[in-house]
Amino acid sequence: MSSVEQQTVINERALAGWEIVSIACSLAIAEWITFAFAGASKAIGAIPVILALALMVLSHRLRNEGLRDLGFRLDNFVNAVRLLILPMLLVLGICLLLARWFHSPVDFFRWHPGSFLAVQLALGFAWGLAQQYVLQGFINRRAQVYCGRGWLSIALVAAIFSALHLPNPVLAAATFVGGLIWAAVYQRVPNLFALAASHCLMTWVLVATYPPAVLQHLRIGFRYFG
Amino acid sequence: MNSQARSKLTHFLMAKSIAEALLVGALAVTFFFVAFPPYFEGWGEATPNAIAGWAVNRRQPSQRVEVQLFIDDQFVAARGATLPRPDIVTAGMAADEWHGYSFEIPALNEGHHTARVYAVHSSGQGARKTLQLLGNPIQFSVTGDQKAH
Repeated sequence: MSSVEQQTVINERALAGWEIVSIACSLAIAEWITFAFAGASKAIGAIPVILALALMVLSHRLRNEGLRDLGFRLDNFVNAVRLLILPMLLVLGICLLLARWFHSPVDFFRWHPGSFLAVQLALGFAWGLAQQYVLQGFINRRAQVYCGRGWLSIALVAAIFSALHLPNPVLAAATFVGGLIWAAVYQRVPNLFALAASHCLMTWVLVATYPPAVLQHLRIGFRYFG
Repeated sequence: MNSQARSKLTHFLMAKSIAEALLVGALAVTFFFVAFPPYFEGWGEATPNAIAGWAVNRRQPSQRVEVQLFIDDQFVAARGATLPRPDIVTAGMAADEWHGYSFEIPALNEGHHTARVYAVHSSGQGARKTLQLLGNPIQFSVTGDQKAH
């Protein structure tokens, strides 16, 4: 490899690392600063999220990544679901066992008692799709550029996902496990719809089996404190 | 990715970092002025039986300021500064004289003590309360007869 080519590879890698850090910082700023301190002004609170979205769109365009490359596709949906079923059943079993262990009543209608479950699941799917797009469609892809395909990039994605759910200890632990599973599945079969469905169902299971006080109503960032 | 695209992405990343730094800085400054507005003024002294003084919100001079007394970093009492202090009208600090406070000094050990009087400010639609020190800490001593000096 010539020195010019070597420099190009290093720059590409550094750029991918910078992109990951930049997105993680934007989300951390949103969680810890703007949504907490911008008060009623949701427009100000949304600025880092909009900047992150603009970066991701620009990066996809400059790298010629299409929706299909990112995982917005249906042709491999069944394959992705096949890979997800076993770990999801395992997580379901562990959650039910922990609920029994802690004498926590299992209630599958606990998520948002005021709204229809179907509506809640649809919203959960949409929110899961948004999170999985950022996590896998962007961060996982850049992590593979930064440290190659495999366990290192999978662990990096899971660690970032977990860190963005701090200081909620239960959610941070759960998202680390979920992040490992989803990142590994995405690297083998990139399908965001299957991951979003899994994300939604796992959140539902978590909310149904763990007491709201333990999950702190899924609050993260500065809002965790009150 | 060609070098032109890389350069474009790098410039965007730099601009984004600067924009976010400015946003966080602006939010920090705004939050500071909302939570700790620089409008409270006051003064206090130790009298033989009390910590007394006055407190004014210069932005809303007709408002009565709530004050809290701490002695040796321990909370002692809270009340509104509503006692007459004609001297602050003479000094031009407020339009009316009802901005004085007086806290009776509780039973304290003999020796030197420090009292601090804070103005209480509510912000965030009442969700947040902050304290601002009025004047300087008040140094006083308590002797055997429980009188402050």
